[in-house]
Amino acid sequence: MTITDISQRKRFLAQGNVYLPHIAVIERIIDETPGIRTFHFNFKDERLRGEFTFESGQFGEFSVFGVGEAPFCISSSPTRQDHLGFTVQRVGRVTNALHRLAVGAEIGFRGPYGNGFPINNLEGKNLVFVAGGIGLAPLRSLVWNVIDNRAKYRNVDIIYGARSPADLCFKYDLDSWQKDKTVNLFTTVDKGDDKWKGKVGFVPQVLEGVAPSADGAVAVVCGPPIMIRFTFPVLEKLGFTPEQMLTTLEKRMKCGIGKCGRCNIGNIYVCRDGPVFSYAQIMNLVSSEY
Amino acid sequence: MAGSKKIKKQDLARLLSQWSQEFSLFVPSRTSGPAEMTEYDGQDTSFLGWYRNTIIPPKASFLPHMEEMFSFHRNKQGHQLELPPSDEQKRLIFAIRPCDARALTILDNVFEDAYQDPYYRGRRRRAILVGLGCTNPYDSCFCTSVGGGPSETTGVDIMLTDIGDELVARGITKAGEELIARSNLARATKADQKRAEQSQEAARQKVTRKVDTRDMASRLQAVFDDRDYWQQLAAKCLSCGICTLLCPTCYCFDINDEGSPEKGTRCRSLDSCAFPDYTKMPMENPRDEKWRRVRNRLCHKYEFYPMLFDTIACTGCGRCIRLCPVNWDIAQILEGVPELSQAEGPK
Repeated sequence: MTITDISQRKRFLAQGNVYLPHIAVIERIIDETPGIRTFHFNFKDERLRGEFTFESGQFGEFSVFGVGEAPFCISSSPTRQDHLGFTVQRVGRVTNALHRLAVGAEIGFRGPYGNGFPINNLEGKNLVFVAGGIGLAPLRSLVWNVIDNRAKYRNVDIIYGARSPADLCFKYDLDSWQKDKTVNLFTTVDKGDDKWKGKVGFVPQVLEGVAPSADGAVAVVCGPPIMIRFTFPVLEKLGFTPEQMLTTLEKRMKCGIGKCGRCNIGNIYVCRDGPVFSYAQIMNLVSSEY
Repeated sequence: MAGSKKIKKQDLARLLSQWSQEFSLFVPSRTSGPAEMTEYDGQDTSFLGWYRNTIIPPKASFLPHMEEMFSFHRNKQGHQLELPPSDEQKRLIFAIRPCDARALTILDNVFEDAYQDPYYRGRRRRAILVGLGCTNPYDSCFCTSVGGGPSETTGVDIMLTDIGDELVARGITKAGEELIARSNLARATKADQKRAEQSQEAARQKVTRKVDTRDMASRLQAVFDDRDYWQQLAAKCLSCGICTLLCPTCYCFDINDEGSPEKGTRCRSLDSCAFPDYTKMPMENPRDEKWRRVRNRLCHKYEFYPMLFDTIACTGCGRCIRLCPVNWDIAQILEGVPELSQAEGPK
């Protein structure tokens, strides 16, 4: 694996103190599920609003002052710059503090960090998006990116699942993709309820049923580790090579820039060399601690 | 050797006082308990008598155990951030041991890459390192096995060699030569230089701990997935983290907020890969088991870091051996990593 040359990347905040966050304001809060919220935010500094760029799949270090920082991917699309978004499941100290914030509250942001999805390599390809639960957050950025440049890509299949209908995130996206004749959406839940009329079944099983062709295709998989572990073999069965499968890895991070140490898998730092990896890259990692 | 100079030990206090006009001067001290580099008080050079090495490594002068990254407070306009006063001190670390000077060059690779670390770099950029070659290494020292030596000059600006009543000073970098030039020191005679060479050779002989580190990265890779092997090695480890916190090449850190949303500071503190919380996420922890953490520490130094920077991230200072409460001996462990079989060969 080659270590991506960081100096080649667009580096917002490259000058000055890399640890000093920008102040951003929460502009809108969307309840995705009982435990998951999406926050729309924008920078206080007008100039930054114009200058800030990022790529789908990149992340930021978001902070609640007095509580701390945590990394989240940017869940909005770079093709829709009217707002920036990130999506947070309430699980720990910082995420609980974020969930207590109201519209108008200030947060800190540094980034964007990480490599993002190799969007140029996806052009001209059939795309298969496979996501589970909050794993749709990084993928929705890419999906909207693709839809907004629809002519550059071929067939688009989206397979998305959650534990129950109430756990489906981005229902407003699912509604628009359902109506969009240029993409094929397959939504599933592990367990339905009285009102659920869609598919019931685990994401890997539904993927197997949809059986997208591996020919000229790339599959992008994001979700809980258990889903990812069962999805790769299905893709292999469908003829996808490890190079044709992309995913994002999640690790505890503090600095986001390859220094604080904790997100390493062998010699790889997920924050700096990832978070997007192909399955081929993952198979070659010196450590299996992913 | 472009004109070595010498310093009479009895005149050292005067020289240090002179240097402390220009620099924040740090010397070995144990007045606060564990030996560490602390600011020179203007007179005490008694360290020449007891100093073998510090317990707290000199990295603490550049990467403190705890530091404020910035402070914040909220007023009517919202949150205001304020950086601490920039550290303009020109540091001079006096009598740093060769292993610890080289360790700083290992930290430089991490903190001065494409993302410059402003705190570390600010302190390091203007620092002068005056090395003091070892004459009395510990039994636990194994610097000569990892590319170093008791009078190795990597990272130092000036190298001092103890020849009894005097220290022979040799400029290594331009900054070091300039400092020597303006310090009004006596010229070292041929005989002094000869004694310096003898002293250095004698010290080298005293580093008796030897570890064969050839092919170490490949050897570690070969046993990497052997869970039983690592579990056995890790059995007595307490996960106390002392081997990492006091390691001159360990740099892992944590970032935390203190205070409240109204007013507080964001701080950085040393962290350790020995602690289970270090990698803990709400739902899972890739290194929850102790053997995985022990494996990561050893492999980071001898396999992962070398993959990135082409040098072992251990200088053989022996602190982790001397200070480990259960005597987990890295040199012994390294010796025990199986040799590659012919079939495996070096990778």
